[in-house]
Amino acid sequence: MSAAAITAVIADDEPLLRAQLRSRLARVWPELSVVHEMENGRDVEKVLGDHEPQLFFLDIHMPGVNGLDAARAIGDRAHVVFVTAFDQYAVEAFEQGAIDYVLKPFNEDRLQLTCARLKVRLGERPPSLDDLVERLAARIAPQAGAEHLRWIKASVGSNVRLIPVEEVLFFQSDEKYTRVVTGEAEVLIRKPIRELLEELDPARFWQIHRATIVNVDFIASVRKGLKDQAEISLRDHAQTLVVSRAFTHRFKQM
Amino acid sequence: MKSYAYLFEGLTVQRVLVVSAVCAAATASVVWLFLNTYRDLLVSALCVGYASMVLFTVAGNIRQARVPREVMQVGAIVIGSFVGTIVAGLVKGRDIRQMFAERLFGVLITMGLGIGFGCVVVAMYVLREKHARDQAHHHLAESERHQLAKNLLEAKLALMQAQIEPHFLFNTLANVQHLVETNPPEASRMLESLIQYLRAALPQMREAYTNLGRELDMARAFLDIHKVRMGTRLDYAIDVPDTLKCRAFPPMMLITLVENAVKHGIDPSCEAGSITIRAAEDEGKLRVSVEDTGEGIKPTKGGGGVGLANIRERLKALYGASAKLVIEERPPHGVVASIEVPAGSGA
Repeated sequence: MSAAAITAVIADDEPLLRAQLRSRLARVWPELSVVHEMENGRDVEKVLGDHEPQLFFLDIHMPGVNGLDAARAIGDRAHVVFVTAFDQYAVEAFEQGAIDYVLKPFNEDRLQLTCARLKVRLGERPPSLDDLVERLAARIAPQAGAEHLRWIKASVGSNVRLIPVEEVLFFQSDEKYTRVVTGEAEVLIRKPIRELLEELDPARFWQIHRATIVNVDFIASVRKGLKDQAEISLRDHAQTLVVSRAFTHRFKQM
Repeated sequence: MKSYAYLFEGLTVQRVLVVSAVCAAATASVVWLFLNTYRDLLVSALCVGYASMVLFTVAGNIRQARVPREVMQVGAIVIGSFVGTIVAGLVKGRDIRQMFAERLFGVLITMGLGIGFGCVVVAMYVLREKHARDQAHHHLAESERHQLAKNLLEAKLALMQAQIEPHFLFNTLANVQHLVETNPPEASRMLESLIQYLRAALPQMREAYTNLGRELDMARAFLDIHKVRMGTRLDYAIDVPDTLKCRAFPPMMLITLVENAVKHGIDPSCEAGSITIRAAEDEGKLRVSVEDTGEGIKPTKGGGGVGLANIRERLKALYGASAKLVIEERPPHGVVASIEVPAGSGA
């Protein structure tokens, strides 16, 4: 490696695409030396320490530690070029942030242009990508924020069945267990109503009784019942549920 | 006071008018039996009618479960007739004690007529209510049928709209682009797989009826593409007896399970993993399963939800309760998703 060589690292989970980028780069930027390849962003610290690369080509979508997390970890210690196959949001963010990116499949002219710009920028200190990365992360993985329970795990015989919560009609406590009732089946889990209440999406799952949580998507009708209670009839199920007085306010004037 | 307002629910102007009209008609029909004038008799009838009406309404609204509502209401008519007769006496300025002592026969007749007409009116009311309930029931059944038809349509629509992910397409093409330069035979094979997958997956190309064999070909093409792309990270096996390949199977369900296995099982994992597709026939059921040894499902992790919900809707629309989709954890890590449908003949 000559003293003038510029060092780069390629991160992509697809081996052929790493090879392809490497061979394209060799053509358009012969002075560039790819010193390391990574399948994901997991070893970014070690690679920074071992190779002190000036440049990272990061695929955004990688298992484990993805390109955005890797860029966060790299900070201003190296220049970053994002590589992506197709992502409308990402491309919009790139355009706004004037950051370098390369689209797969690679277009050689476009790669050349990116490399030309990089050659100029390498003399400067790497810009802070924090803003851009946060914006991208918000667009690409919008599930951030409150993480609600999405699956119920229940033992059925020797197997553990996974039930998407959207399919649960209601949860009802039954002594030590909690009944989980769907349109087709009924299973028992050990997690108490109290804990479920904290983990489920409160917009979809309403507590209607000390012992009952109902999926509002499946409510067919609500009737006045005895004392100050109410009764819920469900779609797809014959059982009616009692709304105790403390919870009837949720159904008033609806 | 307000808290007892519910007891008088249903005591509408309409009900008062109906009772008044019934009283007027009843009086007219029995006035020839009496020496009294029509007006005098009408006052009695209205007193009995209104008293019965109020008690009848309250009896219908009392929240209790011990005595059937109809019994309560008939009781209300009897008591109402008694009370109404007394009120009529008061209205006419008669001495109540004297009334019962000397005109007992007249009092009993007034009460008897009140009870008789009251019961006829209640019977009519109950019948009308039952009719309304039947009507509502009929509407419900009707709307459920509509809902089912709508679900089926929506499921079809969702099937048509299911998109091929651009990400998948461009990444695959990038791989082909590289192979064209480095390994043309392999590039050609990958293109063939892509074409086969597109043939089945492009909405315009989708067929309404298909068989397990064709769905397996599509899944195989998809897995072949991913095997090239993911290198050693993905391995797969298909364990399906040839005899089952001609069996009818709904389109795009198997591929959805396979896509989920790659996307949520193998892809997020840094370790290598494998996918196995199995099919078996057992007691008139065709069971097709996709098993992966990937990440498994974290309780709070979403994904796959829309595709799975779509499969479930379509299974319900196509086979009712005789088909199901079950997702299970596979120890030590991974997921098995299986679809069970009634084993039909060839398609």
